[in-house]
Formats: sequence, C-alpha cells, structure tokens
Amino acid sequence: MKISITILFACLISFSCKRNFEAPVPDTHWDLFESAEKLPSVARPGIEGIYNFQQGSDVFGLAAAAKWSYSANGNDTIYHLSLFCEKEVSYFILEGKKSGDSILLNGYWRKMVNTETGIARFTIASVNGARKLLNGIPLGSDDSIVLDGKYGNGPAMPDQSLRLKYNRPLYKAKPLQIVAHRGGGSTADLLPASENSVAMINMASRYGATGIEIDVRTTSDKVFVLFHDATLNERLIRKNGLLGPIENYSYDQLYTLVRLKQGERIPTLKEALHTVVYNTALEYVWLDTKFTGPIDELVKMQRQFMQEAAAIGRQLEITIGIPDQQVLNNFLALPDHNNIPSVCELTPDDVVAANSRIWAPRWTLGLQNEQVQQMHAQGRKAYVWTLDVPQNVFEYMNQGEFDGILSNYPSIVAYYYYAKQ
Amino acid sequence: MVYYQTTHPSLLITIMLNSKHIILLPFFLWSICAFAQPGGFTSEPVKRGAYSFVVYVSGGLGHYPAYSKDLAYLDPKIQNVNPVSTIRIMWHPDHLVKVGLETGYLTFLNYTLTDSAGQRGKVLLNATPLLVEWTMALTKRFNVFAGSGVYFLTTNLDYKGKTRSKKISVGWMAAASYIQPLSKNMGLGAELKWLDAAESRDGTICLQLQWVWRFWKW
Repeated sequence: MKISITILFACLISFSCKRNFEAPVPDTHWDLFESAEKLPSVARPGIEGIYNFQQGSDVFGLAAAAKWSYSANGNDTIYHLSLFCEKEVSYFILEGKKSGDSILLNGYWRKMVNTETGIARFTIASVNGARKLLNGIPLGSDDSIVLDGKYGNGPAMPDQSLRLKYNRPLYKAKPLQIVAHRGGGSTADLLPASENSVAMINMASRYGATGIEIDVRTTSDKVFVLFHDATLNERLIRKNGLLGPIENYSYDQLYTLVRLKQGERIPTLKEALHTVVYNTALEYVWLDTKFTGPIDELVKMQRQFMQEAAAIGRQLEITIGIPDQQVLNNFLALPDHNNIPSVCELTPDDVVAANSRIWAPRWTLGLQNEQVQQMHAQGRKAYVWTLDVPQNVFEYMNQGEFDGILSNYPSIVAYYYYAKQ
Repeated sequence: MVYYQTTHPSLLITIMLNSKHIILLPFFLWSICAFAQPGGFTSEPVKRGAYSFVVYVSGGLGHYPAYSKDLAYLDPKIQNVNPVSTIRIMWHPDHLVKVGLETGYLTFLNYTLTDSAGQRGKVLLNATPLLVEWTMALTKRFNVFAGSGVYFLTTNLDYKGKTRSKKISVGWMAAASYIQPLSKNMGLGAELKWLDAAESRDGTICLQLQWVWRFWKW
C-alpha cells in the first residue's frame, strides 16, 4: 500500500513537470557578410518572386515566396527578405548585402508548427543573376535567379544544402490584406518579440503581414494600452505579483512594474500607432476594442494618426473594431459614427447600421460568399478571422471572396497568396 | 477575439497547465481510496467504527522560491519568508482515507522597490485557499495530505497610488505532517506543505506548527 502511494505520488510529481519550449533566434554572425557592402536598392525588386526548392524541399516544401519588407528608424532603414514556405508554416528572414559581383543573404529560418529554427545563408552568384540584379538590368526569359545556400539546426553552423530557383513573379492581381493577429503574432508561438508590443509591430511585415490587429484596453487613468487578455497573467507578462484586470492599474504602475514576456513594456496605443506610421510600411490597423467605455477618445487618436500618415504620404487605414453589442452601442452613440472607419464583427445588418467599412465574421461561420458579395455590392470589404490552420487558409483563399485574412501565422497566408497563379 | 486554432503545442500546454495537477490529483486520490479499505470486501454486515471531526490549526512561515530571478528587472528587495496560517477540518471516518476542507491566509510574494526617480513602492500578493483535502496516516503519527480547489488571490500595490486587484485561481496542495499526541483528543505537530496557485505558476513551501483537536466524535 505504502509503496503504491509512493509510486503514484512520484508519478504525480513527474507528470506535473512543465516542459519549457524555446525557439531563440540563432546568432547569425557571418564574417563574410559583416565585411560585405550595403545592397543597392536597385537590386531588391528583382529578387522578389516565387522560387522552387531544388534542394531542401523535403524540409521546407516545394516552393517559397520571396518578399522584401522594411522597418525604418529615422534615417536608418533595415530591409529584410522573407521567404515564406508552405511546409509546416516555415519561413526564412534574411538581410542582404553585396560582395563583389555576388549577393549574400544572411539570417535564420523557423517553423511555426514546432520550435525548429536555425541559421540560413545564401549566395546569389554573379552568373546566377546577381550581376544583372546589382546593375538594375532586367532579367531576360533565359535568366533565372538561383539562391545557393545552407541551413543549420539551432545554433549549429549551417551544413545542409539549399538551392532555390526563380520560377515566376509574386501574385498581386487581386489585393489581399494579410492581417497579423496581436500586432504580428502570439507570445505562445515563441517569436522574438512579445505579442502586442512595439517590437512585434516592427517585425510584423517580416512575417508577411500587410496589416495588424492590436488589442486596446484602458488603464485606471484612461490611458489606451495594448494587451490581449482581460487580466494580467503569466502567459503574457513576467512574474511580478500583479494580477487581475489591467483596468485596475494606472499607466505609471504598468510602465514601471510590468514587462511582457520578452522584456518589453506594455505599449500605449499612441506608441503603437506612431510605430506603424513612422517605422513600418503597414497599410492597415484593426483596433480591437477590448474595453466597454466611451470610445470618443479612441476615435480622436484614430483620426490623428490617419492624418499623420497622410501627411507623410503613407496609405494607412485605421479602423475601430466593433466586436460586440456593447461596443456597437457606444459606437452608434457617436454623433458622426457614419464617417468613422470601423470594422464590425457582428451581423451584416449591424455593419450597415454602423456604416462599417469592413465586415469581419469569424471563420467558423463558413465562407459566406453570398454575404461577402453583398458587402462588396455595398462598397464594403470583408475580412475573416482568425485563420491559422494552413488547409483553412488555402480553402478560404481559393474558394472564398474575402478581401483580408486575420491570422496568427501571416507567413502561411502570404505564401498561399503570393504563390497563386 | 477569443476563438482561435493553434498549430503550436505550447499554447495548448499553456491552456492545460492550469489544470494539469488537478486532472492528475483525482486519479491519485482514487488510487489511494481503492487500496485504502481496512480489509477485503465482504457483503456481511460490519460494525461501524468511530467517526469524528478533527480541526488542524497551523501557523508558520512560507518561502516562494521562484521570484527573485523573474523580478530582476525591478531590482526589488524581496521578503523571502512570509507568514502562512491555515485551518483545516477533516472528517475522520473508520477508513484509512479522510476528507476535509482547508482555508487560511498566506503571502506568496512581498517586495519593495525604488524606481529610477527614487519613488518607493511595495507589492504584496496574498491568497486565501479553499481546498478539498484528503489525508491518510502512513504511520501512527506521520500523515500525508493532498487537495485541490481555488485560491482567492489579491494583489496589494502601493506605488504611485494604492491598487487592490483580485483574481480567483485554481490550485492544489500537498503536505506531510508529524503529530505528537498530547492527550486522547489533542496533538501538537509540524507540517511541511506545498501550496500552489496555478495563476502564479509556482508554489510556496511552508513549515508550520500544528495544533490538532478532535472536537467531535460519534
């Protein structure tokens, strides 16, 4: 009896142990790359396109969509080439440089279905398209860009061969808004930045996003901040003894005492929108209204940043999210609600009542092609949320008529979209 | 938006984490109960033994071991040892396994900090557990306890204003005690106890002095 209890107790303890998952971005230092020159901007556009894997398809799938993105910090702009792959929601994030007549691409890869990651390095040799790319000479039909490279697992030096050959340009015929959930991705997915942080917003376009959804809550002193969950909890923040609704705390208290999982502070909405306008090329922001009070101050901030974006020539749409009846009532109470850009998750009738620019049904309601067509006939758009499973993304992309897809995995949405023919 | 799928296992684990102990605990307790009858099964009428209620009043100190590293960014002064007081009432039937309830008051975390402007602050995370517990004697005086239930957590923050914030969390406990009899119905003992609220992820290890009184017998 006592032995049985001891064994059972030992089982209880051992099965109760928590496994820590980590997917740290590996150290991508590469001496050759460090000594190379800046990649001329004329070389970038020609690299974009759909590439077929000639080596490495067993790990990353048959093809990859190569797309540049940038993040700006004053006069310093950093460009990243992302390769969005089909298999296991994998992607590469690379920086480019010029070395002689060749182009070097250096960065890392990651699979979102697990914690696999590693270093990735590519070379585009002079004879494989680099000479023409670097000189801005259009590639002829006989030319084809070839990315030769290697990848490694974890922090190990790259030793597995990769070879990608240019196949065709990216699909762009029918626009699609690729909206990244929680500012770019979820903290649970072990990305290098926490969800709903400024750092994550800066990275969103590297994961394929053209827009972001961010979660807006208020502090006790009515400062708008980004935070997904209703309460402070250790899924999203580092342990600090603070629990309960975020609305219980003042902004000063949160600013000093709370750090998100990757060490960032909880950003104000103002900081987040400033980042979107001045540091990214994002075209769309969905403000998911997660508080229930009056929203007139939120509308003021929406207007301010849309005006700031327009003033610097940025095309940016910011919409107020209407996720439930209470927010809808608060929205309809605004005297000029008909002219306020909004995205409504409720019924088509509610969309008309709020004169929302976007209808956003949840994906579990199905393709709803008829209703989407009705929205289009009224001059509105339709975005579906939240599609994460690749098969669902593929189905909604190819059988649905939505103008945007909200996802925690924008890279797979980007792959299926750009790879369309 | 709360409905989503995930392709990553860690999210599922995060969801499961809060309930993992609680899922395993009934299995553990059932196993004990299955073996805990004093004799083999018989359909013959048996004589019932004595039933009683026993109260355990405990007081001591607890240590929350996991915070110092997590709080490094605040450079806090952490009070590593905090008082823990609990009271437990158990029904002692004529079976090996007994059942009861435990509640009390404890401090999981207690620290002060000074920000870059010299402003001082204090954070207290207190809890009142309400747990259903099971116990059995391994020897005449050595007992083990296990239970699960809820913790009523309260954060008391005093930094640029006072804030009191509450949250209910599921949780569990496990303990072992040694009780030295003082009389037929009274004893004095020591208990080593692990109290764990899922919301704060880690538990407090407590060492308590315990007064035990069999206050009702029939």
